[in-house]
Amino acid sequence: MDPVTIDTTKISTIKKKPQTALEKLEDTGLIHTVLSAKDRKGLILLTTVDQIFNWARLSSLWPVTSGLACCAIEMMGVAMAHHDIARFGMEIFRASPRQADLMFVAGTVTKRMAPRVKQLYEMMPEPKWVISVGSCSNTGGPYHESYSVLKGVDLIIPVDVYIPGCPPRPEAWLYGVIQLREKIKNEGYGAKWGINK
Amino acid sequence: MNPAEELKQALPGSVMSTGMQVDKPLAVIKKEELLAAAAKVKEMGFDHLSVITGIDYTDRFEVIYNLFSYKKKENLVLKVILDHNNPEVDSLTSLWKGANWLERETYDLVGIKFAGHPNLVRILLPEGWNGHPLRKDYDMDTEQFVTIGEDGEDIVSTDGSNLLRRK
Repeated sequence: MDPVTIDTTKISTIKKKPQTALEKLEDTGLIHTVLSAKDRKGLILLTTVDQIFNWARLSSLWPVTSGLACCAIEMMGVAMAHHDIARFGMEIFRASPRQADLMFVAGTVTKRMAPRVKQLYEMMPEPKWVISVGSCSNTGGPYHESYSVLKGVDLIIPVDVYIPGCPPRPEAWLYGVIQLREKIKNEGYGAKWGINK
Repeated sequence: MNPAEELKQALPGSVMSTGMQVDKPLAVIKKEELLAAAAKVKEMGFDHLSVITGIDYTDRFEVIYNLFSYKKKENLVLKVILDHNNPEVDSLTSLWKGANWLERETYDLVGIKFAGHPNLVRILLPEGWNGHPLRKDYDMDTEQFVTIGEDGEDIVSTDGSNLLRRK
């Protein structure tokens, strides 16, 4: 049998890699209008600055290293090579909340832990986001009728994305992360301060 | 002969009855004689006190001691029945060191006092918590919240306005 020969000149579906700064910016899909000023050898961006900020923010979310219960075991699974949260630029779990801009509330928030969780959130610099993971931190879950568990972490801190499950599988976790990225993409500059939107 | 029967033969005055707790031999002990009976049980080779449980039956309290012997590979369950108004029993910390935290837990959640315990304070819930949550008459309607004080100590209150975002 003859080996199959491929005429490489006829393949046109391979996307050209962006070379110049202008092409790279357009490739992000976030910049609507980019004009180049020939006589100045530079670029003029005719767009809101939001989109660049949002693109930078959503591309490298750094979570704070904090786990409360068994969902934290799943968080380790998400971070390891098989599911690989590094694909979203979030592989660096910061040991200090000062350097983080995302908090996973992964597990049961007990009454005694609640002020500590709140303090951890308040220590993070703006802009910051919170993902509540698992039934316990969403609503209290199986401990809803308990004396010692808070009925949802959103009673003490604002939550952006809720991921259901007990605990959620890593795929669900990553879906939640993608939802948060979508949310950040549509945020206005200063949305956290109530200036826009 | 199972260890519960053995204990009854050795101390007929302090064992009220014997039987089986699921598949473990059970001996119900008079609460005044618990310390003497436990000393005899330790002599019999039960060197490990694995768990202490307190149960509220609304008319009485029961405290259940699960013991295990690493030498004979045997289980034994001791039980004492306490008055509901004033549940108090002798501490076993002098015999088994592990009883210290187990008794504190039983005190914390069920509210049984252990006489002669070296440090009978709450172990899981913060100091100042109102009530013992595993009692049948525990008030589930008033929520209690914990906040952190100036020196990192826990402050318990029913007012969660420092903690909650909205009432």
